[in-house]
Amino acid sequence: MQTVGVDVGGTFTDISVVDEDGKLSILKVLSTPNDFSEAICSGIEQEIQTGNLAQNQVSSVVHAATVATNAIITRTGSKVGLITTEGFRDILEIGRLRYPRLYDMEWEKPAPLVPRYLRREVKERVDYAGNVVTPVDKGSIAIAAQSLVDFGVDSIAIVLINSYANPVHEEIIQDYIAREFPAINISASYKVLPEVKEYERTSTTVINAYVKPAIEHYLTNLEGKLKSIGIEAPIMVMQSSGGTVQSKTAKEHAVHSIESGPAAGVVGAAMFGKQLGISNLISFDMGGTTAKTCLIEDGEPRHTSEYEVGGGISIGHRLLKGGGYLLRVPAIDLAEIGAGGGSIAWIDRGGAMRVGPHSAGADPGPACYLRGGTEPTVTDANVVLGYLNSKYLVGGELPIDGDLAVSVLKKKIAEPLNLSIEDAAFGIHTIVNANMVRAVRAVSTEIGRDPRDFTLFAFGGSGPVHAGSLADEAKIAQVIIPPAPGVFSSLGLLFTTVEHQYVQTFWRDTDTAELSELARIFQRIQDEASETLRSEGFKPEEMEFQRFVDLRYPGQTSELSIPVPSGVIDKQVVTNLVEEFNKEHEKSYGFRSEEEEIVEFVNLRLRGRGLADNNFTPSKFVTGASKGKTKQDDAQADRRVYFGSKIGWITSPVLQRGHLSQENISGPLVIEEYDTTVVVGPNMYVRTDDANNIRLTLV
Amino acid sequence: MANVRRDPVLLELLKNGLTAIADEMAVTIVRTARSFVIKESLDFSTGLMDSDGALIAQGLCLPLHMGSFPPTMRAILDDYGDDIRPGDVFACNDPYLGGGTHLPDIYVFKPVFYGDQLLGYAAAIGHQTDIGGRVAGGNACDNTEIFQEGVRIPPLKIFENDKPSEIFFKLMRTNVRVPQKVLGDINSQIAACRRGERGFLELVERYGFENLKAQMKDLLDYSEELTRAELSSLPDGEWEFEDFMDDDGFDPDPIRLHCKLTKKKDEILIDFRESSKQVKGSINMTEGFSKSAAYACIRSVMDPSIPNNDGFFRPIKFLSEPGNFLHCTFPAPVAARGVSAMRTTEVVWGALAQMLPHKVFACGVQGDFGVTIFGYDTDNKPFISLEFLFSSWGGRPTKDGIEGVSSLAVNYANTPIEVIERENPIRIERYGFRPDTGGAGKFRGGLGIIRDYRLTGVEEANLLIRSDRQKFQPYGLQNGKPGAFAGNVMNPDTEETYVPPSKHMLTLKRGDVYRALLAGAGGWGDPKERDPESVLDDVLNEKVSLAGAKDDYAVVIDGATWTVDVDATKKLRS
Repeated sequence: MQTVGVDVGGTFTDISVVDEDGKLSILKVLSTPNDFSEAICSGIEQEIQTGNLAQNQVSSVVHAATVATNAIITRTGSKVGLITTEGFRDILEIGRLRYPRLYDMEWEKPAPLVPRYLRREVKERVDYAGNVVTPVDKGSIAIAAQSLVDFGVDSIAIVLINSYANPVHEEIIQDYIAREFPAINISASYKVLPEVKEYERTSTTVINAYVKPAIEHYLTNLEGKLKSIGIEAPIMVMQSSGGTVQSKTAKEHAVHSIESGPAAGVVGAAMFGKQLGISNLISFDMGGTTAKTCLIEDGEPRHTSEYEVGGGISIGHRLLKGGGYLLRVPAIDLAEIGAGGGSIAWIDRGGAMRVGPHSAGADPGPACYLRGGTEPTVTDANVVLGYLNSKYLVGGELPIDGDLAVSVLKKKIAEPLNLSIEDAAFGIHTIVNANMVRAVRAVSTEIGRDPRDFTLFAFGGSGPVHAGSLADEAKIAQVIIPPAPGVFSSLGLLFTTVEHQYVQTFWRDTDTAELSELARIFQRIQDEASETLRSEGFKPEEMEFQRFVDLRYPGQTSELSIPVPSGVIDKQVVTNLVEEFNKEHEKSYGFRSEEEEIVEFVNLRLRGRGLADNNFTPSKFVTGASKGKTKQDDAQADRRVYFGSKIGWITSPVLQRGHLSQENISGPLVIEEYDTTVVVGPNMYVRTDDANNIRLTLV
Repeated sequence: MANVRRDPVLLELLKNGLTAIADEMAVTIVRTARSFVIKESLDFSTGLMDSDGALIAQGLCLPLHMGSFPPTMRAILDDYGDDIRPGDVFACNDPYLGGGTHLPDIYVFKPVFYGDQLLGYAAAIGHQTDIGGRVAGGNACDNTEIFQEGVRIPPLKIFENDKPSEIFFKLMRTNVRVPQKVLGDINSQIAACRRGERGFLELVERYGFENLKAQMKDLLDYSEELTRAELSSLPDGEWEFEDFMDDDGFDPDPIRLHCKLTKKKDEILIDFRESSKQVKGSINMTEGFSKSAAYACIRSVMDPSIPNNDGFFRPIKFLSEPGNFLHCTFPAPVAARGVSAMRTTEVVWGALAQMLPHKVFACGVQGDFGVTIFGYDTDNKPFISLEFLFSSWGGRPTKDGIEGVSSLAVNYANTPIEVIERENPIRIERYGFRPDTGGAGKFRGGLGIIRDYRLTGVEEANLLIRSDRQKFQPYGLQNGKPGAFAGNVMNPDTEETYVPPSKHMLTLKRGDVYRALLAGAGGWGDPKERDPESVLDDVLNEKVSLAGAKDDYAVVIDGATWTVDVDATKKLRS
């Protein structure tokens, strides 16, 4: 059996194929933005022709799509109409008022996905407890729906105040539209997100309405194309939470498939960690323009309950909201900063060296890439320092000119600052590491975790170059670099699990909540989850459910999710949950409430997983014949490498992964691979393990 | 250009390191605080000071807090300068003894020691939901002396040897209406200071005590150099601007706020002396807060990457007069000075707009409304719903004002309606834009906002309205028109309807509705230069009426085809 992973990015589509023995093949093809499925199919056909893939062996195709994210960023989703409670037409546009850039008069707020003329009000009202205050006025529904249809909308979102507590009016409106206008795509908030807070629910439901037709069309088209080349296996779609769902479910719950690409690498890291028996990791993915980190604790990537799409990158994003389109759905909690191989170094007016946030990107790219880049970048600095090959990268496919890196660095940084060329380059390397340490701290110290208790799991084209020195800076002692680190995200797709997430607000004091009501709600969402899993072909014994309660102290606005043990939830269980909450609060935030405070339930959550036997996990990856040049092709077996003014230049061996054994050898040395380079500092040891990972140990 | 005497790499590393600590302190507060005003409206700030008390880094929080740490730090040093030891924590809030700006803002300072050597201070300001006094929430505009406004905290040692002062905490618990929230928030400020202390000490381990102290001094010089370089590139000259507040709630006379801005070479002088005298009602500004408002405005026209530290303040000088509205003296009340701070920023921006006409926006609508509804619920438990309402930014030199946005001076969030309704006996019945209220201009000012509150769950409660802009509209620039007036209405569309004064407390009975009508923001540039297609777009979206299009913009729209009547428009505009 084979699993196929398809990671579609704006520039490249990565296709990975793995069989039960761990034989792995990864192919990079240019994406085809007009119809992404073309590149996918031509790539798969290539793999068939080269014998890496057999149609009848494929058990599933796992897919991370950018189609929904693109639709939002380029504003090319559906024409959506929004129906709201009378008096609340502008909830979507007003939002939460916050802006993401302090002191910036030039800021532009993202335009609402539904303009004002397509937002219509219906006379109705439900109060916070779910009581109907004003019955829904049927006449106003007809007028609202008709006017939206007349304006040519193809998708309608329905979001009423307090519908999380009682969806009756949303149901009535939904039924009316389905009956009168069957061609219209409907997204009702009680189904998309039955959770308290009207703006968050509105924004999420509107995004669902906005991307749903696009996702439906895209997946239907892809299914047809894959069938036409003989792939009958189901398409599994990556979710922002890190799980997958079958394409038919993804078409229904479109809002979960946005920004799913970056999650794949983290899921892969967690799975590799599990195999190695290392359950606490910080994943570190550094590419050309950004670096991303995520905390993996007890084998599970950490999740956030909301994020923004299209808001740009800022390490302050956890505080400064409002830059993008808000989605309140579970997502892998990534910290992202604008630091990558292409980040440009410059000198500010006060004479300080700065790196980023501007990036030379892939085009023109670093100066040494010979594509007309004239600004010194992090990659140029890494070439000067001897970390990267000064003649070629990507196994010889990308010729580079190390002299250009030297001259641009000299002219723009070293001479104006009166520094030696190597100290200028080392300064750039150190500053970009310091910036990335903030991303490491954002996922660890900021929530009360000590990075020293974690192993750094590094991938991405630039990740392994910086992993050792970054770990040193963050006081992390162990680093893992997986096979094929440059395309690891695509590899991560092969390890995903089918997963569905549900939420229902249940806002009660824990001491007085009606536990039978709580049990009823959990049962209802579990029935919903098992029905979805059943329709995806899972048998009851293959289903795994985990319940969570979101708890908080009164008045807090962020909750903590606490897992609920299986079985009946009685008073004692609630007491235990509250105690777990107090403990977690103390761990994350440094204190627990000193007073006899009544802890509140806010939301009930449920995660349903489908565990099938076709979900195989090889214990070791074997990459095919090494592409590009090998060490033997090149006379440059050793090279001089610079480790800062205290240590200076050291002549260091240049090896390949295959030269390493499970015996530790001492740095400094450099390991060149097809898709990246690993730098092993003089204070580090390096070896490989059973699964062919590179392991660094810092002393 | 480059200053070669400093270590360009170390400076950058340290700058990032210190900012990261201040930001992590801020994250600690957001995650641990109890109250909405801190967690969602970010009405708090974090900072690090050096051993002299000079600000070296400030967290990403409330822009208007720029400059709030120095006067409070000074007050602590004046009182305790020779009695500051490891394990101490200090607090203050008093405007007259503690350098504060109004009582709900509690400042916490934790000295950071390396061994027995003082390295500096980690500090946090937090706006408390209540501070005692005669009106819940601490934002009453009808106090007449500071003593009515709540618990006054002079500089006080609230922890000694890492042990909390029982007296302080007991007294606070007794005097505030929601002790869980207030003490919870103070705890969260202390937790942030501890986080700051840890980060600070990690820097000592890495760079060494003496080296770190020297580099921190250089960081201040670096900020000052960047600020001066930026100021040098701006035009020299003298500009004046004035605006008015409706009244103080007692005396019907308007209050004049005046700013004379002198820019010469690499320094700016802000002269507030021609503003009105201090007033009876509690909207007076302390000297420190007036400065903070000016710092925030100047910051908004400067290079955003200049670090927020003491070096930024150095080239900015002030002239003010004790007893003046913008430099009040004891025992003037100050609780509701937030509205005055907004107006202060508007006069400073007005002056800056003359210096930089192609950079600065027309007048926005920022927090003129503070609405407090408070009382006791059916279980005799107190409730307080305190909201500051914001609507829009003024038109800008290249684009329209943003609609539905907080002030550039304070990054407040609105409170989720479903949360208000769950936690208070109130129903919000309307929250949306007011058509035809944005100041007309080539670039339109943002619309005003309407919000209706109905008392539903109890027989009666108190409503405190702190509002303004009912006599003076938000100004336009470069021939742009002012935005629409604000307003208050009780029980709209009923026979009992009436208009309460702009600053007023009244009793709500079950079923009563209070309607807040926020002003519209000012326009930028001649409305007749506005692209008719943009006017059409506004009409389609019901932000401007057909009549408004014609009267305010001289654009004729064919109501049958929903297109611009090009000929008729040309004729009207010529």
